[in-house]
Amino acid sequence: MPPLRLVPHDAPRQEDGSFAETRSLVIHAARAGDVRAFATLVDMYYARCLRFALHMLADRSDAEEAVQDTFVRVYRALPSYREQDSFEPWLFRILGNRCRTAGAKQRRHADVMEYGDVPERATAAGHDRELAWREEIERALRSLPVEQREAFLMRHVEGMSYEDMAVATGAGLSALKMRVKRACDALRVQLTEVDGV
Amino acid sequence: MVFEEQDETIERIAARLRPLPEIDPAARARVLVAVAAERERDRERSRQLVRRRPILIGSIGVALAAAMAFVAVLATRDGGSAPRVAAAPTTSVPAASPGGAPAALAARETGAGALQQIQLVFRDPNATRVSVVGDFTGWDPTKAVMTRDSGSGLWTATVSLPAGRHVYAFLVDDSIWVRDPRAPAAPDADFGRPGSVLLVGRP
Repeated sequence: MPPLRLVPHDAPRQEDGSFAETRSLVIHAARAGDVRAFATLVDMYYARCLRFALHMLADRSDAEEAVQDTFVRVYRALPSYREQDSFEPWLFRILGNRCRTAGAKQRRHADVMEYGDVPERATAAGHDRELAWREEIERALRSLPVEQREAFLMRHVEGMSYEDMAVATGAGLSALKMRVKRACDALRVQLTEVDGV
Repeated sequence: MVFEEQDETIERIAARLRPLPEIDPAARARVLVAVAAERERDRERSRQLVRRRPILIGSIGVALAAAMAFVAVLATRDGGSAPRVAAAPTTSVPAASPGGAPAALAARETGAGALQQIQLVFRDPNATRVSVVGDFTGWDPTKAVMTRDSGSGLWTATVSLPAGRHVYAFLVDDSIWVRDPRAPAAPDADFGRPGSVLLVGRP
């Protein structure tokens, strides 16, 4: 019984020509109905989408569900995707929308959480130093307003240009730069004093 | 004026957020299953459109035949030649070939109803969970979870299917996709995943 095929997911931040060319061929074939090409497209972007969703939602199950919904919507919308447009901003626009919807559900759930309920993450005491720092960063990230968190992740983690971020979010360049600046200011204040960051 | 933020603190924070997460193969498989289900819904919508067309053509054909017969009768009444027989177009569904039925299946008719109960059998003594995924479950692994016989290592599930051609596979431990080795391979397997063909004949 052959296991499911997994290929390396570590897409380069500064994509090279061959990656862009491969992606173009894969998208072209997927648009023409080649299901194997669509599976390859999932392989190319699953990990990056999951990373973004995990940082946005801070819950693995919710993040995996948001990524799954994203790819289903990409599949539905692929016939209307224009190949002259950049793919990644288009993908992250769908992913961002799914994360915002999932985040709203999380907030509604948090609103009805009874006193005494303790979220699972809060009980995991991090004795490991690196893990503790990561949790501090995640905590600081979660404290940001959704728009700032999204803009910070797109800019500094996904390495997107402001032009691509504008396509992905629908916001203007000035607004996006302001969101990133405010996110950086808030993170710096919260984490500068933390040893090791 | 907003300046780009790029300092050491921000870069250190971003560097800790950049590593790609571990991928759960089952979660990735669920993505492909969900997309395959979406694709199957598209196909079903297309099939429904195709099914409607012959009915429409048939109705038009009947109307045309009636009109031709009426004209022919008029011609006869007017002393013309004998009326011709006009056959209305008919639609027929080809019967499924029983020759393609896999050996692992035991089909049992349920009477006059359109659905038939089909038992699917799969052998894997080491599996902890096996599901049937197919176009008839919308490729949803939760719709037909198989039951294990601990003595034989056989997994079985019974599904109710209409007559026709179906494509299916087994999902082992939520991560390994296996086609039924005892059934014909589907040439149009979804998303590179192997599938098997199940032909259900009319009761």
